[in-house]
Amino acid sequence: MKLQIKLALYNTLTKLAIIVFTGLLILFSLEKITYAHISLRLRNKKDLFIKNLSSKEINQILNQQQSFTNYNILKEEYIFLKPIPYQANRTSKESFSTQPRTIEKNTDNYLILTYKFNFDGHSYLLEIGDTMDAVIQLKQTIREFTLLMLVVALLLTLVIDLIFTKYLLAPFYQIIDRKLIKVNDPMNFDYGKIETTTQDFKLLDDSISTLMKKITDLFILEKQFIANVSHELLTPISIISSRLENVLLNEELKEDSENKIFASLKTLNRLKSIINSLLLISKVENNQFNKNDEIPIAGIINEVYLELEDRLEDRKVTFENKIKYARSIRGNHSLMHTVLFNIINNSIKYNKEQGSITVTDYLTPDEYILEIADTGTGMSEQQIEKAFNRFEKLDTDEKESYGLGLAIVKSITTFHDIKIQVSSASDKGTAIKLIFNQQLH
Amino acid sequence: MNVLIVEDEKGLALEIDEFLSHEGFTIEHARSKGIAGEKIFVNNYDFILLDLNLPDGDGFDLLQMLKGLKDRDDAVIILTARGAVDDRVLGLEQGADDYLAKPFSLNELLARMHAITRRKHKLESNDIAVKEFRINIQNRTVHYNTERINLTKKEYEIFNYLVLNKNRVISRTNLTEHVWGDVLEINSDSNFVDVHVKNLRKKLSQFETIDWFETVRSIGYRVNI
Repeated sequence: MKLQIKLALYNTLTKLAIIVFTGLLILFSLEKITYAHISLRLRNKKDLFIKNLSSKEINQILNQQQSFTNYNILKEEYIFLKPIPYQANRTSKESFSTQPRTIEKNTDNYLILTYKFNFDGHSYLLEIGDTMDAVIQLKQTIREFTLLMLVVALLLTLVIDLIFTKYLLAPFYQIIDRKLIKVNDPMNFDYGKIETTTQDFKLLDDSISTLMKKITDLFILEKQFIANVSHELLTPISIISSRLENVLLNEELKEDSENKIFASLKTLNRLKSIINSLLLISKVENNQFNKNDEIPIAGIINEVYLELEDRLEDRKVTFENKIKYARSIRGNHSLMHTVLFNIINNSIKYNKEQGSITVTDYLTPDEYILEIADTGTGMSEQQIEKAFNRFEKLDTDEKESYGLGLAIVKSITTFHDIKIQVSSASDKGTAIKLIFNQQLH
Repeated sequence: MNVLIVEDEKGLALEIDEFLSHEGFTIEHARSKGIAGEKIFVNNYDFILLDLNLPDGDGFDLLQMLKGLKDRDDAVIILTARGAVDDRVLGLEQGADDYLAKPFSLNELLARMHAITRRKHKLESNDIAVKEFRINIQNRTVHYNTERINLTKKEYEIFNYLVLNKNRVISRTNLTEHVWGDVLEINSDSNFVDVHVKNLRKKLSQFETIDWFETVRSIGYRVNI
């Protein structure tokens, strides 16, 4: 779950808890307060009633009747007096209770003060009631109001939280995007600071930049090392190779010595190829090539085809050129030639006898895609992943594969901002897609 | 013909010396830009083999100095391990006749020198005779007496290279590199050179037996004239 949503949810939940708690508290205390209030009023009334009581009055009130009830028009209050059997030692006692009472067919909940007392040699029961309706209604209203508040507050905080955290976290995602995701190689790292007032993000940004600086330094060192080593090796190889060629001039040389010298020359040549490949990769990675040539894709494919024609024939592989669009791209001609040469050469190398190679292209609104598909042995997921690494070789009958062909392809396509996609199925073949961005190329 | 080898690597300079002496060239050495400058100023050379990385400066300066001298026709071949693409272009633009990246094969160097000689001196109207066959370097064609033999570009290159390096075994590796150039990751061990040689032989042998075109078992080919 995204941090933004987590934060918003957390805020919402805490607010929910606070509102529910406050609502309950209000409801509860309200009930208490009203009870206390009404009780106090009832007691006052009772006291007033008792104080003003005289035997004449009582008789007048009861008027020979069994009991006396009086209430106001809205039946909010009532008073009820009834004689009960006399008990001499009765102590005056009052109690409160909530009970339904029916007054003139109207049943209502009343808070009732019940008071038993002795007066003038008689015992009486006095009840004074006050309706609870008002309280219940108030409670209802408050409950509804609280619920409404709850919903509104929740929605409001959720929206505000989402917007705020989004704003708050924007620099974070910017850092992730610009400093981590979009970084293909440390050489082109963007050291510009991301605008933010959040200390933590500043720390993150700075830490990533520092880390990247360290990586870049190591990377440059490694590249220089490879370039220097490769370059320094070429001269000694040149000397050995010339020396061996001169030994071959000797006409008295025995045949097996001659064979060995030729074999050594071949090995030297292999060494030279490896070094030159490494140098090429290193030069491409150091941007030592211009990329301003106008390169017709179909033209290059044709050049490569002519160069590889003999190998296609040798392996009886058919080559189908189905290119439909006359697209040109901007880049380095000889490097792009190398890319297509290496890819198609691999398609021949790893193809089966009498297999085929198909070159097709498509246009989408944003991209131009060139696809080279073969009917070869194919690669597994793991092999695809590793295929572009240096010195990665597939099991092959070919003795002199250096495992640098696709590494070169990778460095050149990266240099040109061309995306590569490989899809492959074992024994069905491999398809390599070169994806050119219409705006960049 | 005299050759000035401007090269600070003594080992390499001596090997080139030995090889070219064997071919009948007269050799002089210069191990630094200073010495080379003096020699070039005083003497005419048919060839100057120029290393770019010299202990006391850049070989390009010598090239510029030479071009500033009057009435000079010294052919310059740049030999360098620098190998930057721009160096090749720059070298040729500044008037070098050819450019070889180290490590190079001495056979290749010799073939290039021959090609330059023929181009410069317009030898025998650019024809090389091989028995009754004639190679025209200018038009890149091969004739048998008056009849034109239709060779592919690669077959022509192979034939021409073997003839320029006549009487010497040329390995497949060497031949591949000459014909295909510095194509990386090329598999020099496979037999696709043989395919071309086979076709070339077929075309030539239609006219007469070509037992002078020899296959040297497991190594390569030789043209014996």
